[in-house]
Amino acid sequence: MQKSASSGVSLLGPGGLDLTHSFFTSILNSAPPSPTKRHNKVTVVGAGNVGMAVAQTILTQDLVDELVLVDALPDKLRGEMLDLQHAAAFLPRTKIHASTEYSVTAGSDLCIVTAGARQVSGESRLNLVQRNVSLFRSIIPPLVQHSPACVILVVSNPVDVLTYVAWKLSGFPANRVFGSGTNLDSSRFRFLIADHLDVNAHDVQAYIVGEHGDSSVALWSSISVGGVPVLSFLEKQEIAYERVTLEKIHKAVIESADEVIRLKGYTSWAIGYSVANLARSILRDQRKVHPVSVLAKGFHGIHGGEVFLSLPSQLGRGGVIGVTNIHLTPKEAQHLRDSATAILEVQNQLPI
Amino acid sequence: MHKSPSGSTLGPGGLDLTQAFFRPITNAAPPSPTKRQTKISVIGVGNVGMAIAQTILTQDLTDELVLIDNKADKLRGEMLDLQHAAAFLPRTKIYASVDYAVTAGSDLCIITAGARQNAGESRLNLLQRNLALFKSIVPPLARYSPQTVLLIVSNPVDVLTYLAWKLSGFPSNRVIGSGTNLDSSRFRFLIADHLDVNAQDVQAYIVGEHGDSSVALWSSISIGGVPVLSFLEKQQIAYEKETLENIHKAVIDSAYEVISLKGYTSWAIGYSVASLARSILRDQRKIHPVSVLAKGFYGISNEVFLSLPAQLGRGGVLGVTNVHLNEEELQRLRDSAKTILEVQTQLDL
Repeated sequence: MQKSASSGVSLLGPGGLDLTHSFFTSILNSAPPSPTKRHNKVTVVGAGNVGMAVAQTILTQDLVDELVLVDALPDKLRGEMLDLQHAAAFLPRTKIHASTEYSVTAGSDLCIVTAGARQVSGESRLNLVQRNVSLFRSIIPPLVQHSPACVILVVSNPVDVLTYVAWKLSGFPANRVFGSGTNLDSSRFRFLIADHLDVNAHDVQAYIVGEHGDSSVALWSSISVGGVPVLSFLEKQEIAYERVTLEKIHKAVIESADEVIRLKGYTSWAIGYSVANLARSILRDQRKVHPVSVLAKGFHGIHGGEVFLSLPSQLGRGGVIGVTNIHLTPKEAQHLRDSATAILEVQNQLPI
Repeated sequence: MHKSPSGSTLGPGGLDLTQAFFRPITNAAPPSPTKRQTKISVIGVGNVGMAIAQTILTQDLTDELVLIDNKADKLRGEMLDLQHAAAFLPRTKIYASVDYAVTAGSDLCIITAGARQNAGESRLNLLQRNLALFKSIVPPLARYSPQTVLLIVSNPVDVLTYLAWKLSGFPSNRVIGSGTNLDSSRFRFLIADHLDVNAQDVQAYIVGEHGDSSVALWSSISIGGVPVLSFLEKQQIAYEKETLENIHKAVIDSAYEVISLKGYTSWAIGYSVASLARSILRDQRKIHPVSVLAKGFYGISNEVFLSLPAQLGRGGVLGVTNVHLNEEELQRLRDSAKTILEVQTQLDL
């Protein structure tokens, strides 16, 4: 029986109060549990604000049987593990483990990487990326070694480049490595539109694709609300709108992450829900479409290199099932290719 | 239509889709005013308040969630961070303000505001720091939501629940402290983990002060219906009284342990309070060890709040279960009451 490394085990147990002898008696002729029974196991690497929001949301939504936390800081890690374990009376039973060693991650179905260096004031983006590449060299290989069949989900920023790095370091097929990408940007976009119309955000289909960053692309041509395509609705109603207004709305979405960081110091809850949502589609084989960072080479005229960026992708148990053949206007397609170029400019300077 | 402040570029002057996007059916009337929406206010958007708010949101317990704090920027940031998850959650209206007017009509008000307990600091030392704060929080809450249930989480919770009761003028069944609900969960976790059984099969209460003088009710612990102490006797398994006390002490220490490791606790208290919120709002009539007015129970004659196994529902505390305490447990409970009273009588209300 695997015991949690919690305080109090030495007091309950041999030498202390040992209730285990004959508390339960097995029935006759029973055998150990069949090894074919499924068991969802998720590893979260990085116990910071993002990692813990992801872990806690996954736990609350009862998505896994086993949850593993990995980080380089052992005290913080143990504290976070205990804080989750102490909620045992309020949750379905989930085994929660934590370690600075990767052996505990063995057999994970999904590994979520949130670990990353925080950008220092005045640091160039390229420098930040290079520091994170070193970090990923210590994270990805052991993850892969212990869970050779897992799906890897990268959240650390800049997510598109780091998803490429994770893919290269893992040696995995491209469908088993993807990044959280613009899944959250799209949620913020849908929230803005839904809030304006006083309608449920689930009724708003709206994708932001491309780079999770300044060069992202809002696919206005395919936004629909309750099945009503928005731009053609405006035309039919003869409601005039300015291109610059659409760009301002898109810009507000990109800036809303910076706004939250400026106000509370970081973002956590929304990315937690976003990643838990992706985890659910993978673990429960939902075959749901999400805008996430995938190997985009060959799509929409992107041929310049092996670049990861967000496209509407169908996710299931095996990872990325495919990319939807969404129609882009020539302008949107060009912006997407520009976005790919922007990412490649950084990526090509990496020693990988 | 109440709009969140973000999205000024969608609207009049920008892109206004609202004209004719939806059309009402003929002979429609506005929604019936008798339909009530569940509304929860959380005061304090620190680690505890936000863990509670986020867990309540994830568990889809409320239609409206209000956040209150005196730090306007932090407050707005937290509100936006929750709102941005709209595509992943059922629709819940989320508001935030430094002004209590926005809390009007709340069914449940959860107070988490207060100074953080430092490593090694006893809960009673926090008291002076939180006293003045409650005088600015409770009266406006009570004024804007005269029918609400107040749930106090700030520490030291027993004394602060008493204080909130006095300041609110509410009947005692509508003022509750989170008390030992979490301590009992930690206790149940330890026992369940040892036996490799689901924690929900472990009935075990820690009562009294949420603090050093809490009382573990060993005489009424049962697992899957099996009373533990009499099980040990029947199996002729010897145990030492001191071992039981060590286990109880480990529970009290575990909060301090988490604080010394990660700086504070948040997730477990978030789940604990969300569990209380569910019992109250969904009228579950479930028993929780929470801080209630203990006067008249177990020989306690003073107006003191401490945790007892209490049945919770829509109206707050429905009653206290008549759990049998042995002589030793009774004495410890009365001692716990005295410990709380010693501090309480020094309060300047």
